[in-house]
Amino acid sequence: MKSLKYFIAQSWLLIVASFFFGLLIAVANAGLSPRIIQNKINKRNQLVTGLLPDAKNFVPVDSEIVIQSIDGKESRVEVFQALAESGERVGWSFNAAGPGFADKIELVVAVDANFEKIAGFDVLSSNETPGFGDQIKYDYFRSQFEGAPADALKLVSVGEPTDIDAQIVAISGATVSSEAVVEIVSNAITQIKEQIQEKGIMTDGSE
Amino acid sequence: MDTLSVLLMGFISVVLVNNLVLTKFLGICPYLGVSGRIDMAFGMGLAVTFVVTLSGTLTWMIDHWILMALGLEVTRYVCFILVIAGAVQLVEMYVRRFFPSLYDSFGIFLPLITTNCAILGLCLFLNLWGIDSLLDAVVRSFGAGIGFTMAICIMAGIRENLDMADVPECLRGAPITLITAGLLSMAFMGFSGMIR
Amino acid sequence: MAPSNEAKSKLYSQTLLAGLWRENPVFRLLLGMCPTLAVTAAVKPAFTMGCCVIFVLLCSNIIVSLMRNLLKPHLRILMFTLTIATFVTIADLFLKAFLPQMSETLGPYVPLIIVNCIIICRAEACASKNPVFVSIIDAIGMGVGFTLTLCVLAAVRELLATGKIFEIHLMPEAFVPWAAMSMPVGAFITLGLLLGLVNLVTGKRA
Repeated sequence: MKSLKYFIAQSWLLIVASFFFGLLIAVANAGLSPRIIQNKINKRNQLVTGLLPDAKNFVPVDSEIVIQSIDGKESRVEVFQALAESGERVGWSFNAAGPGFADKIELVVAVDANFEKIAGFDVLSSNETPGFGDQIKYDYFRSQFEGAPADALKLVSVGEPTDIDAQIVAISGATVSSEAVVEIVSNAITQIKEQIQEKGIMTDGSE
Repeated sequence: MDTLSVLLMGFISVVLVNNLVLTKFLGICPYLGVSGRIDMAFGMGLAVTFVVTLSGTLTWMIDHWILMALGLEVTRYVCFILVIAGAVQLVEMYVRRFFPSLYDSFGIFLPLITTNCAILGLCLFLNLWGIDSLLDAVVRSFGAGIGFTMAICIMAGIRENLDMADVPECLRGAPITLITAGLLSMAFMGFSGMIR
Repeated sequence: MAPSNEAKSKLYSQTLLAGLWRENPVFRLLLGMCPTLAVTAAVKPAFTMGCCVIFVLLCSNIIVSLMRNLLKPHLRILMFTLTIATFVTIADLFLKAFLPQMSETLGPYVPLIIVNCIIICRAEACASKNPVFVSIIDAIGMGVGFTLTLCVLAAVRELLATGKIFEIHLMPEAFVPWAAMSMPVGAFITLGLLLGLVNLVTGKRA
């Protein structure tokens, strides 16, 4: 008993303080977490609305979609149906990630309603070299993907960037980053399309 | 052998490509303070390696098996720092008991490791990088320590030579060390793109 | 003998100014280097980080000062750490809720405020030995000094890396941006040179 008394005498402040601080954190968390979750949803929706202008609502796909990224990692992907005001499906959007030149590149990709043409992509996070690989965020590189066929992307080093076709012109001095983006997008689209078709979610899908 | 190559890639990525000191700016305070002589630097590096491997593993386990399972992620920072403080305390007691001469030569450094950003930083990066296997976490923590040791020993070697050079008065000490670290980080940039 | 009002206000103003120049946490005390290098690529993240540090410093100094007579000597570092960790968690939650973009830019460096030597050092050196008001002044002085330092460093780096601060172009047209400034190289070298400059200035005075 004596040692227990000594223990309490020494650490009562610690115990009381832990309790008080825990309460403080819990209150702050309870108050702020709905806002934090909403922020995440807003961010994703905002980016995709830039790519699919008609989209008003985003409905997540129910079934589990698992894809394997380029470096072999398997992960669950949240695929969203983009619906217009009328409820008609205008496209799909999902996150795709993979290794870039310096670090992981995370993209949000939007495709049209039948997974045939790419609506575009936006960079969520990347750590590429400023002035070189960083240019994957720039419009002149991203706009090459808009309207390109979803299943036949190919990276070329010279070509006409304004031509909307399967050929994506690499950023000069940043071949690896450009290649990484093309691979990430193609890889994700191929696997997701396959799984969506398998699960029969595309009711007007092309078989 | 796929697991082995993933682990190896992870190890090399933390040691060279994402070196904690030179690319992520972690552990600068001891880096500036202890890199004066190679033997002290090496000792510090070893101590950090031991603590970071232990802490990285423990915090990963707590994070994945307790915090995420119970939805208590908001207490992550508090839990991590308490685990790290506890781990350092344990290491200190252990070293004092079994290697007293080593303990004497370390002096103040051992308790100071608790506030070393590299340890907490690595635990947080393990979370950020989405490491989902225990073995991967252990290898990366160990790699982080090795990377730190490597960076600090290189710096110690350079500084021992710098002592004999004619450095301007106002740049002696921390400023010239920082400039050297900048050049070192530029050299290490050559490693990026090594891992695909 | 309670100190006179004049002596008190002298103490307060000295404490406040100490944090700004004489005992500037980054340039003189060489504390808190890690966030200084990491978040100063642009002025906005630097300023946000500075404000977070001020918030945590203030709260932790107040709480530690209130508890100072109840602390047991061998448990005090643990108490400091617990207090700081709590307020950093709260600051991080606020950041995620109200400034999500800043939260992403700052990333893991916000929780690293917990091990920022400045806060623990001030708790140990000042707050645990002084009444609440002095601790508050000390926190404000150190915090503002830290924020100003970060902003100066960030201004230099952002100006040279992109030619503009806060989207305002300040460099002439012909200026080619030094991309290296936004990378670790630029961080280390800029801080090193600025430190050398401060040493030069203060060395001359002494």
